[in-house]
Amino acid sequence: MSVGLFFQLLANGLMSGGMYALVASGLTLTLGVLKIFNFAQGQFFMLGAFVTFAVAEALGLPYPVAILAALISMAILGVVMYFGIIQQVMTNFFSSMMATIFFAMIISQGSLLTFASQERAIPPVFPGTLNLGEVSLNWGKLLVIGCAIVVMVALYYFMRTKIGTAMLAAAESSDVASLQGINAKQIFWVTMAVGCGLSGIAGAIIAPAMGAYLMMGTNVFMRALLVLMVGGMGSMSGALIAGFLVGIVESFAFQFVGYLNLIVILVLVGALMFFRPGGLLGKPLPVPGE
Amino acid sequence: MSRIAKIALGVLVLLLIAFPLLVNPYTVQVGITTITYSMLGLAFAFSMRVGLPRLDIGAWWGVGGYTTALLMKTGMSFWLTALIGGIIAVILGFLLFSIALPRGMMAFFIFCMVLSMAFYQMFGSVPLFGGWGGILDVPAPTIGSFTFINKPELYYMGLFFLALTLVVYYLLYNSKIGRAWAAISSSLKLARSVGIGVVRYRMANVLIGNFFIALAGSFFVAYYRAAIPTIFSFQAGAIVMVYLIIGGFMHFLTGPILGALIATFIPEFVSRFKGYIEYQSIAIAVIVILILMFLPLGILGWVDQRVKPWLYRRKWYWRISRWGVKEEREIPA
Repeated sequence: MSVGLFFQLLANGLMSGGMYALVASGLTLTLGVLKIFNFAQGQFFMLGAFVTFAVAEALGLPYPVAILAALISMAILGVVMYFGIIQQVMTNFFSSMMATIFFAMIISQGSLLTFASQERAIPPVFPGTLNLGEVSLNWGKLLVIGCAIVVMVALYYFMRTKIGTAMLAAAESSDVASLQGINAKQIFWVTMAVGCGLSGIAGAIIAPAMGAYLMMGTNVFMRALLVLMVGGMGSMSGALIAGFLVGIVESFAFQFVGYLNLIVILVLVGALMFFRPGGLLGKPLPVPGE
Repeated sequence: MSRIAKIALGVLVLLLIAFPLLVNPYTVQVGITTITYSMLGLAFAFSMRVGLPRLDIGAWWGVGGYTTALLMKTGMSFWLTALIGGIIAVILGFLLFSIALPRGMMAFFIFCMVLSMAFYQMFGSVPLFGGWGGILDVPAPTIGSFTFINKPELYYMGLFFLALTLVVYYLLYNSKIGRAWAAISSSLKLARSVGIGVVRYRMANVLIGNFFIALAGSFFVAYYRAAIPTIFSFQAGAIVMVYLIIGGFMHFLTGPILGALIATFIPEFVSRFKGYIEYQSIAIAVIVILILMFLPLGILGWVDQRVKPWLYRRKWYWRISRWGVKEEREIPA
């Protein structure tokens, strides 16, 4: 394998890994605080990419505005989903899971019928490539990786604020958090907003590099589940590290075995589960329903 | 069992047997699909009995289907291939689940999901399984010199498999192992504290489930005469959950069958309206979410909660239900 190819694959892996990490950290946040598994997270990712296309291409506004629009619209949609559906079914883990699965189905089928029937391309923000001797990397991909890292740092500082700490407290135990004067109901919808907003912004970041298409949500969501398993459920830093790890492994496996790379990842995750049941960093998780 | 219940059961069985004679061939076809989906729904309910929602039904369905398709192409008898498919599903399941099952429900759940998608990819891209086009022209199943080729014959074959599944599940639910499963589903900690080996009982449950899911796959391929990856996709396995939601969570034998009946027949009849088919999955999803929000125990749960108390307050109900019952029972308040 040449050096150029190696760095190409590494960049691809880091790019998709960043997306997996963002979606998975949203997922682990909702799982920790609300004790529900939000299956619509992948669809929020897809909608975020389409919102970016609509704002940046159809309206012609600059790209940072499009990212902000995707973040805010997905956060609002998450809050609507919380008050419309999840509040009613939260008591039972299984029913809440089903409800989010079918909400995801409504979103994907609805967008297929309305705007997502064809793939949309968004022109790159920074065209051209970076050439360093043998290595040539696309500026767009580097921008995606940079943006993902910026969002992760922002998330890190957000979790240090008062509301972020309240979220972590509610994730430990919502009853005890209420005793400390934290409004658990309010924390619930804020968590939904943050979790779904993270997916939306991930979609917005990846859109110039990969375009916007219907299946991107499902594909990312499935990898995010793997990331959750590798990183340990309930561990945010684990999700971030495992996201990049899964992305890189997938990128290299795709080079060697093609579309069977999913099986390679499954085998690796199986081996990891066998030797480290709590994930890379996570402690064995408090599982809802058990 | 009271006399009226016996009569109702007899009428139901007679209706099921006479079904192909009463309706047109197209409806028989819908009936065969319903039988297959009932078997899958029963298997899903079966694993819910130990608190494991499994999303890998598509994968094991495909294992059974592809085993039958591949082996029948070499001239083997259908009944033998169905058995081999089931055994392969059990052995593969044991190897794969022994990693994921001891890690608890959540890990099992995600593992199953990824497993299903990986199997779907494998069926599509490994040349042995015929690529994305699948294996076509599978020969029809035979018994002696009799060939199952018409729809009514296949319907009776499916009915036989469904009855077999029902009987085995019923016997298991009412045995010692079934009582252990019930304990696990009500509380994992309590079950552990009375000395039930949770992992071992769960493993037994999912492996028995695997066998019957693979059996359903073999039957479906024998009916469809082809094995195509898209039939055995993740979505096809996940849609099975709808039946349990519609039918009722707490009714492990009747719930999935009622749900499969409703969820297969109503769309078939509504789909005659023009322009409906695009919105079918949205309509199903909206209905399922509404059921989850306002009827969380499904239709049979609603009957238990609302209809039965209403009936118990009626005198004529007691007169009918106690018709033919020898011993005097106390009427519950």
